[in-house]
Amino acid sequence: MAFNLTRRKFLQTASLAAASVPLSKVVSADTGVSKSALDAKGTAGDKTVVGGICEMCFWRCQLVGKVRDGRLMKLEGNPKSIDNGAAICARGNAGVKLLYDVDRLKYPMKNVGKRGEPKWKRISWKEALDECGSKLKATVDKYGPHGISVYPHGASAKYPMHYFERTVGTHNVSEASFFQCRGIRDTAYVSTIGKAPGEKIDMPNTKVLFFIGDHLGENVHVSHIKQYIQGLQNGAKLIVADPRFSASAAKADIWVQIKPGTDTAYMLAIMNYLVQNKKYDADFIENHTSGFEEFAEAIKGWTLEKAAKECDIPAKQIKEVAEMLASNAPHVAIHPGRHVSWYGNDFQRERALACLTGLLGAYFVKGGWVPAKGPKVKGVSWAKHDHGHEFDLNYNHEEDEKIYSHNPPGTPTELIRDCSISGKPYPIKSCVIWGQNPLQTIPNQEKMKDVFRAMDFIMCVDVMPTDVTAWADILLPEKSYLERHDYIKKGTQWDLSKEHQQYIAARMPLVDPLFERKDQVYITNEIAKRMGHADEIPVNTIEEMVDKSLASANLSLEKLIAEDGIHIRPGKDPYGVPEDFEVVLYNEDLEDLGHPGAPTYKPVEEVPAGYARLLYGRAPVHTFNRSQNNVWLKNAMPDNPVWVNNEVAAKLGLVDGDTVGFINSEGVKSRTTTTVKVTAGIRKDCVYMYHGYGSANPLMTIGVGQGVDDQSLITKLAIDPETGCHGMRNNFVKLTKNGKVLDLNV
Amino acid sequence: MSSTESAQDIARVYRFLAQCMQYPDAEWTNDEFFNVLYNLLGTLGGVEDGIEIKRAIDGAEDALEDLQVEYTRLFINGMPHVIAPPFGSVYMDQSLQGVFAGDTLAFYKKKGFGMEADADLPDHIVHELEFLSLLAEENDLEGEEEFLKKLFRPWFRKFLIRVTAGAHHPYYRVVVQLIDFFTKEEDKDGFQPNEA
Repeated sequence: MAFNLTRRKFLQTASLAAASVPLSKVVSADTGVSKSALDAKGTAGDKTVVGGICEMCFWRCQLVGKVRDGRLMKLEGNPKSIDNGAAICARGNAGVKLLYDVDRLKYPMKNVGKRGEPKWKRISWKEALDECGSKLKATVDKYGPHGISVYPHGASAKYPMHYFERTVGTHNVSEASFFQCRGIRDTAYVSTIGKAPGEKIDMPNTKVLFFIGDHLGENVHVSHIKQYIQGLQNGAKLIVADPRFSASAAKADIWVQIKPGTDTAYMLAIMNYLVQNKKYDADFIENHTSGFEEFAEAIKGWTLEKAAKECDIPAKQIKEVAEMLASNAPHVAIHPGRHVSWYGNDFQRERALACLTGLLGAYFVKGGWVPAKGPKVKGVSWAKHDHGHEFDLNYNHEEDEKIYSHNPPGTPTELIRDCSISGKPYPIKSCVIWGQNPLQTIPNQEKMKDVFRAMDFIMCVDVMPTDVTAWADILLPEKSYLERHDYIKKGTQWDLSKEHQQYIAARMPLVDPLFERKDQVYITNEIAKRMGHADEIPVNTIEEMVDKSLASANLSLEKLIAEDGIHIRPGKDPYGVPEDFEVVLYNEDLEDLGHPGAPTYKPVEEVPAGYARLLYGRAPVHTFNRSQNNVWLKNAMPDNPVWVNNEVAAKLGLVDGDTVGFINSEGVKSRTTTTVKVTAGIRKDCVYMYHGYGSANPLMTIGVGQGVDDQSLITKLAIDPETGCHGMRNNFVKLTKNGKVLDLNV
Repeated sequence: MSSTESAQDIARVYRFLAQCMQYPDAEWTNDEFFNVLYNLLGTLGGVEDGIEIKRAIDGAEDALEDLQVEYTRLFINGMPHVIAPPFGSVYMDQSLQGVFAGDTLAFYKKKGFGMEADADLPDHIVHELEFLSLLAEENDLEGEEEFLKKLFRPWFRKFLIRVTAGAHHPYYRVVVQLIDFFTKEEDKDGFQPNEA
């Protein structure tokens, strides 16, 4: 197109007047820019806004924002914090880029195309909420509350999750943080010590740190890392069992290059050695454990030699580890782990960790597992109701007992997915996805897509257009953690040996939200009104929710702001074993339910010839798939090279930097390629890559196709028999280069 | 024609162009609007462009929805990805609400204007065109030229390329050409912004 006039000429002619007059008839009267009083220069200026709580990961450091004219310029740790202090990590810093990411969701949108291949149309909040409310209500009316499934994640998903679970009444809730992450750990420890363990080990004051697969330094949580480094600085020994020379292995006094999947065998041998040689804490066993005799009997076959063979490590190294633990007990810190859904035998591994801690008497003592005594703040949410077991997929009605006896809260993902696809025992026809990206958190992506294909209605709420959002019918933009109130973070000083203090900090917005992003209380309440639950709404605004919670600790948002965002008060000494504390070494309840009473090793499938086991883990500058579109973090770590053993690589002619793809043992190929990292720091029978790369959604313009999506290759599912959680490290891959499949003969 | 009258005329053009870049809804995206657009295009010798838009509108099952989907895809979030976010900072700072947006707001303030509470970001194309219209209404030709040179053309050029290449619907391709036509002569002196 080329207009046959120049602008200057046009403006000088009478034709402008003739053409311009009608224009004013079709424009709206209002403008976004208008005459206003002049601001004196410098009146706006810079300011420090307190009350930030990070959510680039779950650790939730306390922040302040440096704000200029309403624009967040920089994030820093809140100097008042007794947790992370003034420090934040790379991801925390990069929150600014998330906030202003141009790909972020901005307005409610309706998919007028196909699921998975959406054509988005911006719609009003009213239209979006009407559609969500009416569709979800129609599902409940036709199929019952259990016709809705929910996939939530993160602080903002709690309130809507409670609504659907407690008020609407569906059991079909699958949180990735439980079923694909730490749920196994929590229930295994609950069945051993009566409590979920968190990561509550007293690292600064320990003599020995014992890690199974934990790679601190590659997963960075500021105060946790401070504890870890302080412990090492104070002279703690470090034992790391990992098939890979991880960041922690690099600092270890003993690196146990264990065969993947055999960790429980390794710990059984350590525990048996301690028992046989009476190197356990006899007083603690006497006073604070039960089932020692049965436990000792159950594990007695695990000699050092047997474990050495099973774990492919030297027997003398197992002995060395056991001796190091025993000679430093009880001041030993056995890390419970966090992401533990590895092999489908993980409940037993976590039980072993809990029991090993008990044998060493390392509970509630300096340098052991010590739950700090933090402040109490009550949560405020939807009222609980008993919805019975009739539509609980995790319930065997004939036997009148749970199918997975030790499931974490919610329903095991696979039960929900199978029911969604088959329609048996009942139809699940609507899906609410809130802050989770099930396509990259739950194994077997094709199965997940089959779930979505079976739905009548799918709504997604998120800040970013993650892969799963392409499957939504209605997509709602949420305020980010920097733009909303919600989470109340509480705890103690990071080093338990220092002055005992407690803190309470509530998340407050550092800047106003842009566009039409809304918070979870608004969205949930509006949907609840449309589903007929207006009378049960517990709070009208998110600020009210936080203020009500804070009131239980004699605080308010106003008071917290006056205290620079963090309330600090005297704490309590956390050391000293409570009289009623008990470690159940041999659990008869478990036995009654058909599971082993003592920790038991269950071998995992061997690596087929020509393949390597696919292992994955955390990158220090990324949080799973959630940060892959962040341009600062992308520049820091643009892709996820695959670690290949140097001898294997030499045989295949692979060199550092070669471009490769993957094909797994079920024939699934990676959508993208990555580079090879040749290293002696990994066993020959496995390969390793960082998780959370290779987004398939082109809306993520930074992250799309960068590196390889490990989750796309995790198609073989292991289910942990006690918990129903997934095991995701039983998948085997070959590399492909230039279209040729390479056998990884080991 | 006096310069004041001419300024009022150009003010109306800017306001119309701003309207063209609003999210389409039934309130203004109607026959009357399109007839005015076709008339303006005809005056400029762009009859064919008008015909092309008319064909797309008349031939659509739901013309409004087509425009809404296209607007969303081009400017908000779309598959395969958003084509051309209508914010200066995206092109100058590679971020929303970057320094460039602050500079834009500072310019508004310098001229005695500010943003309404429910407005979009100051460097949104709609608001920049509204601002140009307000400057023209005040017959502030110097301010208009300075704003075009420093704060509009530097990013609009990039925006124009993206929309022209990425638009499926002729309406947006033509509208950005119109905006280009009414704003482009002012960058002839070769002002070189410090672009990201």
